[in-house]
Amino acid sequence: MIEVSRLSPVSRQLLNAAVTAGSVLICLLFLPARLPGMELLGISPNWLLIWVVAWSVKRTAFQGALAGLALGLIQDGMTSPHPTHTVSLIVVGILTGRIQKQRYIQEDFISVALIVFGMAVVGETIIALQYSFYAERNLGEIWTYHQKIALASAILSSLWAPAVYYPLNRWWEKMSLLEQS
Amino acid sequence: MFTLRRWWDRHGIQVVITGVALGGAWLLQQTQGAALLEIYQLLSRPFQPSQTQIEKLTNARVLELQERLVELENQNQKLKGLLDYSGKEKQKSKPIFAPIIGRSADHWWQQVTLGRGTNHGIKEGYIVTAPGGLVGRIDSVTLNTSRVLLLSDTTSQTGVVISRTRFMGFMRGQGSNRAIMQFFDKVPDVRKGDPVSTSPVSELFSPGIPVGKIVSLNLDKSPAPEAIVELTAPISSLEWVSVYPK
Repeated sequence: MIEVSRLSPVSRQLLNAAVTAGSVLICLLFLPARLPGMELLGISPNWLLIWVVAWSVKRTAFQGALAGLALGLIQDGMTSPHPTHTVSLIVVGILTGRIQKQRYIQEDFISVALIVFGMAVVGETIIALQYSFYAERNLGEIWTYHQKIALASAILSSLWAPAVYYPLNRWWEKMSLLEQS
Repeated sequence: MFTLRRWWDRHGIQVVITGVALGGAWLLQQTQGAALLEIYQLLSRPFQPSQTQIEKLTNARVLELQERLVELENQNQKLKGLLDYSGKEKQKSKPIFAPIIGRSADHWWQQVTLGRGTNHGIKEGYIVTAPGGLVGRIDSVTLNTSRVLLLSDTTSQTGVVISRTRFMGFMRGQGSNRAIMQFFDKVPDVRKGDPVSTSPVSELFSPGIPVGKIVSLNLDKSPAPEAIVELTAPISSLEWVSVYPK
């Protein structure tokens, strides 16, 4: 086990980046999986959205937007870039960054779950809006489908949010403490 | 110059890391997430359904039906020969069996990921079937995985024909195991329960693959009469599919 506090600042930052990238990779590998207990009506939690919220909760809106852009591009690659997922994840990152939760609420778990719930609805709505501008799908179909998946994905994502948020938050807090000392 | 240097000392590594993150993400987008799918296939290998399930699928009843089908196809072939019929003939090829290792990576697309790729001879545009009929077609391929766009996706449009009366139309997915078929004719001869298969004029699929059956009709629908088709392949519970060249 490496003693993190003894590492030089540069290698610490690199380790931090590696851990962060690793957590994204785990979320990405969960995307196509449908494990028992993780799906509702064939819909699974939106892992990338949970990750973007966990990242942006204690960061600025700009950092949130960057994370949204990066993960949105990857999700585009894994499904289809038309329409793009970047817009919804960037908006989620910006909004979460703007909330400035830590200033008003100290409590962590339930508030993060609630933010994820709201953001999942926002995210799916933005994608549905994008679909509405494409001719290939029927408007009525899009919005009835949207209701179904927005609710299912919001419920599941908010339930699984602490599983992503807790370890990541612990790690990032430790890192920032070391940074200040 | 000095201030630039100081700024770089303070923020340099962050800028580099951000650049690497965005560059990596862009690369993954451009390569259709190929690296990710390969890792996924590697990690999920222990959980993939075992080969024995293929054998389970071929029970005696299926064998009997297949033999009868071969018999009828041969008869058909001979009759066509007698008539000097020169339709486009497809030679039969062996299917590639592939396990389903993942589902769609977001909620809007109806896709599945298969655990076989170019290494096993799968190419883009190949047809995917399962016991019960057509499932979809290969949309993108990596070395050991391939992505299937299912028939039930709203963007997949398939030329289909009512097997009993040969009335043609096209079919659009509806998300689950339903699809909407629109007819080309104003007054098609079609009943509830009629089997539907791929049409002989379809560009994407070879003709005559079973697709589903009609469950309800709306012949007054404008501009074209519509029917709801129930897909016969149980897409949501499948574990293995077979892939054929087009």
